[in-house]
Amino acid sequence: MRDQDKTDITAVNTIDTSSTVDASRRQFFRQSIAGAFGAAAALNIMPTGIKNMAHAAGSDAPEITEVKIGFIPLTDCAPIVVAAQMGFDKKYGIKITPSKEASWAGVRDKLINGELQGAHVLYGMMYGSQLGIGGQQKDMAVLMALNNNGQGITLSNQLKDKGVKDGRSLKRLISNENRDYTFAQTFPTGTHAMWLNYWLAANDIDPIKDVKNIVVPPPQMVANMRIGNMDGYCVGEPWNARAINDNVGFSVATSQDIWVDHPEKVLGTTAEFVAKNPNTARAMVAAVLEACRYIDATENRAKVAKLISGKSYVNAPEDVIGGRFVGNYDNGIGKKWKDPNFMKFYNDGEVNFPYLSDGMWFLTQHKRWGLLKSDPDYLAVATKVNQIKLYSEAAAMAGVPVPKNNMRSSKLIDGVVWDGKNPAAYAAGFKIKA
Amino acid sequence: MLKVMIIDNDIKRSKPLKQSLIDNGFEVVAHVENTVNLEAKCCEVKPDIVIIDTESPSRDTLENICVMTMNDSRPVVMFTHDGDKEKIKIATQAGVSAYVVGDIPSERLIPVIDAAIARFEEFKSLRSELNMANLKLDERKVIERAKGLMMRQRQIDEEEAYSLLRNMAMKKNMRLADLSHQLIEAAKMLIV
Repeated sequence: MRDQDKTDITAVNTIDTSSTVDASRRQFFRQSIAGAFGAAAALNIMPTGIKNMAHAAGSDAPEITEVKIGFIPLTDCAPIVVAAQMGFDKKYGIKITPSKEASWAGVRDKLINGELQGAHVLYGMMYGSQLGIGGQQKDMAVLMALNNNGQGITLSNQLKDKGVKDGRSLKRLISNENRDYTFAQTFPTGTHAMWLNYWLAANDIDPIKDVKNIVVPPPQMVANMRIGNMDGYCVGEPWNARAINDNVGFSVATSQDIWVDHPEKVLGTTAEFVAKNPNTARAMVAAVLEACRYIDATENRAKVAKLISGKSYVNAPEDVIGGRFVGNYDNGIGKKWKDPNFMKFYNDGEVNFPYLSDGMWFLTQHKRWGLLKSDPDYLAVATKVNQIKLYSEAAAMAGVPVPKNNMRSSKLIDGVVWDGKNPAAYAAGFKIKA
Repeated sequence: MLKVMIIDNDIKRSKPLKQSLIDNGFEVVAHVENTVNLEAKCCEVKPDIVIIDTESPSRDTLENICVMTMNDSRPVVMFTHDGDKEKIKIATQAGVSAYVVGDIPSERLIPVIDAAIARFEEFKSLRSELNMANLKLDERKVIERAKGLMMRQRQIDEEEAYSLLRNMAMKKNMRLADLSHQLIEAAKMLIV
């Protein structure tokens, strides 16, 4: 009995000291929990019901069992939809309700105000919020990565008519024909902005000085290109395939051309949510991991494409999603190929591990393009945001292998290697930068 | 005078907001539905503040404009500058987001948002009043139908049918409309 009470008091103390919430909230916890519960426990007069409740904090049971997870209509929202639709959530004692969102800004705000418990979100955007780029600073948490590859850059048919078919001919046109060139991506600190900038710079085009940069919501990309609002855009599938299907543009590059197996979307939430609900967060990761493994099995892909094509999810024709979803690429100007690096969701857990080097890469690009004025403590920020310990526990629950190293090494389209070492030097080392 | 641009795909909804801003000395430079040319429109009218529906897909476009102008060392404020979570939540629930481009102290932003919230709340309560009125109307129709059913089946007049229904509702402690609804549903099974 006495030991039991001690455990309860420890639990209360943990809440009080480790909480990262604001002062008033901490005050509230101190008064209501440490005050009422602590004193009662010390006097050994705690009612049994409340004692059991407090003790649940020491068990593995999810603190909350119903979670709303936001997503944007894109092929790579599949893991969230599948986790909920195929019942992987129930296996871990939670219920996931996917919630279709209209904008990334909306996703971020709803994560911060607690309306959403998690979201399918752009990797770079999580770090943008962590560092307060263009908005309020908030400690964020990357629980796991959802996918690699499967984004792309589309150029308009007008450029094709001018003889543009690759990066080099685009550079030539921009140098020779003086006018405004407009390129769209999906969010200033997001992944598509970084892929677009990286690709343009690799082709000797300065993404800040040589072209105009705008943001357009993914489902509106094709319509905007049709009315001649832009020369090119970078977005996730199915919106590149759709441009070809609708005969408004062609694919000049895939994101896997820029970086094979690049990090893309993550399952994100706030640090506060993880601190308060570690068991729920773990259950979310385990359920979504199982969904990712399910989607990556070739025999399940067609079924998943059909599922996510529905109006409540991506809302695009099944065949527009389905082709590139299984690696059948067609660039719209005569090249067809089977891409071995198509959108991956699992790859024996390689996709999902929140590598510190992946998180840091986005920070190096934010610095490169002037979104960050000075070098942050790259490693410290990534270590704080990417929840490697929690991920590893969830991976064990779902039977998913965890890589030994927290960093990985990749060679990008310009031949430069990124391995997580010397991030400041890496960020400063590019010829074209802000 | 601060220049405000309102973007709402339901122009009618934000009409009172527009009026309130004008009454409070703001210049509403544009009041538009979600526009594909948002970027160009912003460049053209150069608003200090943009007020937009939280659920609008165009919000990301505005985020980008704000981040881009940050490079010209113009401070950018989004939502409430003081990071007051409660206030952000209220604003979000009311369906309002404010984006400020340019050098505006946050004290001047708060009243704008407060006004926006008040007006949207007003609109919301108007709409719920309308819903209530519609509901009442629907209920009356249901009661009428139940009455007609009774009259036909039991060959009684309207007054008798009504008092039978009302007495039964009182005895069962049910709302007249609910009882009528049940009666109609039951009749569907009994009367072919």
